[in-house]
Amino acid sequence: MKAEFSEFLKNSKVLIRKMIDILSESYGYVSVLATDTKGKSYSVSKTVVEINDYPFAERGFVVRLHNGINYSEYSFNEISEENIENIIEDIKEKSGKIPGDISINTYEIIEEDEIKGSFIDEVGLLPYNISAKDIIKDLTIIKDQALAYSDLVINFRASYNSIHVSKLFMSNNKDLEQSYILGEGRLFSLAGKDEKVKYYFKSSSGLKGYEVVSEIKDLYKEVVDKSIELLDAKAVEPGEYDVICAPDVTGLIAHEAFGHGVEMDMFVKERAMGADYIDKAVASPLITMHDGAASTRHMSSYYFDDEGTIGTDTLVIEKGVLKTGISDLLSALKLGTLPTGNGKRQSFERKAYARMTNTFFEAGNDKLEDMLASIKYGYLLEGMYSGMEDPKNWGIQCIVLSGREIKDGKLTGKLISPVVMTGFVPDLLKSITMVSDNLQMEGAGFCGKGYKEFVKTSNGGPYIRARMRLG
Amino acid sequence: MINKIKEMLKKKNIISYKIHEEKTLSIELFFIKKNLDMDRNKKVHHYKVTVYKDYEDKGVKYKGNSTTNIHPTMNENEIEKALDDASFAAGYVKNPYYPLTNDSMQYKNNQILESDFSRESLSHMAYKIGEAIYSVDKYDKGGINSCEIFLNKKYSRILNSEGVDIEAVSYNCLVEFISTWKEDDEEVELYKSMNFSEFSKEDICNEVEKMISFSKDKARAKNTPDLNKATVILTHESVKELFTFYYAKSCAESVYNKNSEWNIGDKVQGDAVKGDNITLIIDPFMKNSTFSRSFDNDGYPLEKINVIEDGELKNYIGDIRFGHYLNVKERGMVKNFFVKAGNTSILDMRKESYLEIAAFSDFNVDNITGDLGGEIRLGFYYDGNERIPVTGGSITGNIYKLHDEMFLSKEIQKDNEFEGPKAVKFLNVTVSGMK
Repeated sequence: MKAEFSEFLKNSKVLIRKMIDILSESYGYVSVLATDTKGKSYSVSKTVVEINDYPFAERGFVVRLHNGINYSEYSFNEISEENIENIIEDIKEKSGKIPGDISINTYEIIEEDEIKGSFIDEVGLLPYNISAKDIIKDLTIIKDQALAYSDLVINFRASYNSIHVSKLFMSNNKDLEQSYILGEGRLFSLAGKDEKVKYYFKSSSGLKGYEVVSEIKDLYKEVVDKSIELLDAKAVEPGEYDVICAPDVTGLIAHEAFGHGVEMDMFVKERAMGADYIDKAVASPLITMHDGAASTRHMSSYYFDDEGTIGTDTLVIEKGVLKTGISDLLSALKLGTLPTGNGKRQSFERKAYARMTNTFFEAGNDKLEDMLASIKYGYLLEGMYSGMEDPKNWGIQCIVLSGREIKDGKLTGKLISPVVMTGFVPDLLKSITMVSDNLQMEGAGFCGKGYKEFVKTSNGGPYIRARMRLG
Repeated sequence: MINKIKEMLKKKNIISYKIHEEKTLSIELFFIKKNLDMDRNKKVHHYKVTVYKDYEDKGVKYKGNSTTNIHPTMNENEIEKALDDASFAAGYVKNPYYPLTNDSMQYKNNQILESDFSRESLSHMAYKIGEAIYSVDKYDKGGINSCEIFLNKKYSRILNSEGVDIEAVSYNCLVEFISTWKEDDEEVELYKSMNFSEFSKEDICNEVEKMISFSKDKARAKNTPDLNKATVILTHESVKELFTFYYAKSCAESVYNKNSEWNIGDKVQGDAVKGDNITLIIDPFMKNSTFSRSFDNDGYPLEKINVIEDGELKNYIGDIRFGHYLNVKERGMVKNFFVKAGNTSILDMRKESYLEIAAFSDFNVDNITGDLGGEIRLGFYYDGNERIPVTGGSITGNIYKLHDEMFLSKEIQKDNEFEGPKAVKFLNVTVSGMK
């Protein structure tokens, strides 16, 4: 079923074109990104029910213009035939008004090929066709089943987010429209025994409609079981171990350990060690890594990015060798490279940065059972929790919810939790000796740049066997 | 727009509601090295409408609610549909009843001081902040790699169907910068973000100077030794993150949703505390906090409250809804919190061997389980003879197993919504070093 493009954006095109035409009389480059993102968040737990607009729902505009030296931007969300002159006046009054004693980076004027295009995606079940009553009913059934499944469950939450993104990008040479729907279903189980409390969560997400709720409905047993198992988990004995990373942890490593390090705005700032490693080995020859809106169909797949660049599939690492980074438009302009369609904004109110899209390691040829059998003593790491980038010095911080003990090639049933993975990125990536033949993607969370600028991304990969330091 | 929304609510026979209006003016400056790379301006206007529905089922009272955005560019049909959807949804949100804030409440507006950001234009003040930051960037081997400044002026108004109509103007500034240092080997960097509501050149310069100095330390840091168990002194941001655990556990919402098992009267650190007991106070009027306000998002009037006194939970932190659910006096939601200093000076904390952490990549305290940990970006290890900078490896632990022997420094620090000890010492923390 088609995700219809926003009527509001369609109706705004005449005014936006007028604004671009007027501003183009004074500025060398003018573009406008207009967004209309709608969505609802539904959540049912033992204690509360919530239905609200999706937190990142928005409607507004951002103008980018070349002020003669570099680029200025202006975000606003009120536009009409009556106030358009006032907006233009305000843009002119504020943009590029830089005190004389400030030194300024210079940028060339963006040169664009003429392109007009539209992308309207399709999903299985349009969320609008399902009533709030039915969604709450479905989530309540999952929650009730989970609570009935074990007395150790203190609380259980089933939630669903529907997000319908419509974006319009216009400049003198571009006229692009896109409309797509994202779906996120999540289950969260909180278990308690004696005075100990632990939790586990799992999700399904993608360019999907309400069908994600069907995908999570049978996962409640696994989520409850894992939250209960964690109650008996022990603390990690610090040390270096042979490990197998589950696909979500592989995705976390691809994203945090390497993905952030090849965001090319970091190259411009000379903050990325990756800039010095192009065409050098950074990982095991078993590793090939992609990023891109067109690299796979998941949470960050789109036709064009927030700077009007068409999305691509970037081969970041090929057989262990770093090939290139991922870039926004202005960084590419500065570096003399091609933009890769990775210029993303948290919202129309924020700046565009080079950001990851769908980031993953390619699958290999190994079977999971062979990988487990190859470990004398180590852990199977699963349950992505958090991570933080270090593009400059390639340090790793990734936290996962659990490590399952492996002894003589078999899982013993013993768990450690939580697990902090640390080390030096190339050491970790070069230690990869086995890669499984299946690949899974995950994208229900958010990615920040530092501690802000949250955008949707997806990460994933196969199971990998590596050696790393756990604490 | 407010009148249009109210008329539509009346037309739809929606008798219980809240409207939250917010207007923001911003300037944002992005620097690479000492050069301005981009300037951004923002002028946005947002409305959020919450529709409430009271109903009874088998003699029990319930209140449903649903919040929707009303964009200023919405036409009448769109507004009508958004409110219809919210009203329909509220009918299926079956939560226990709670009252709304009413117009008889008294606000302590006079306790919020006018920000000095109001005295000049946003643009003038943003460049003044930039000038303060770069005034410290004067070293050959290090300085500021990049810096982002976001200065906002925000107008907020909350009105509801019970007659509440309260407004406020506030300022908030976020500064994010990367400090670097290069000795003979590779260049190293550290990340810092600062939030504040008042301009202080001295505070900004001190923070930048400190981060450059830390970068210099990191440039000559050795690998963190494999200590297994050690005395760990937390400093700077990690102290705020640590005490956020106590704040979160004291929230009525966490207690109601079973994310906190704490009850009023509990000794939150246990009965056998050998270190310092915590005293935590929430204060809506804290100076130089971007969260200071005389009312919360329900329009509820706020006041200073003792939450934990000498280790004992005295009051929950909570909005009118969750306060009512727990059958305690409603207080309103306050974000600012103050933790009383301890009796040990930082110098005394450093008398025996320790690992003092100045910067983590991301120190994490799980507000449900109490698990804590993070990768060490910069620490100082003292083996009893020499204090050396170290980097790499991690610390892990669980707050419940550590806080009976937690020592708070005499010295205090201020970091936006938090004021409290500058350092906290724990014994027997797991340290995974680098070989």
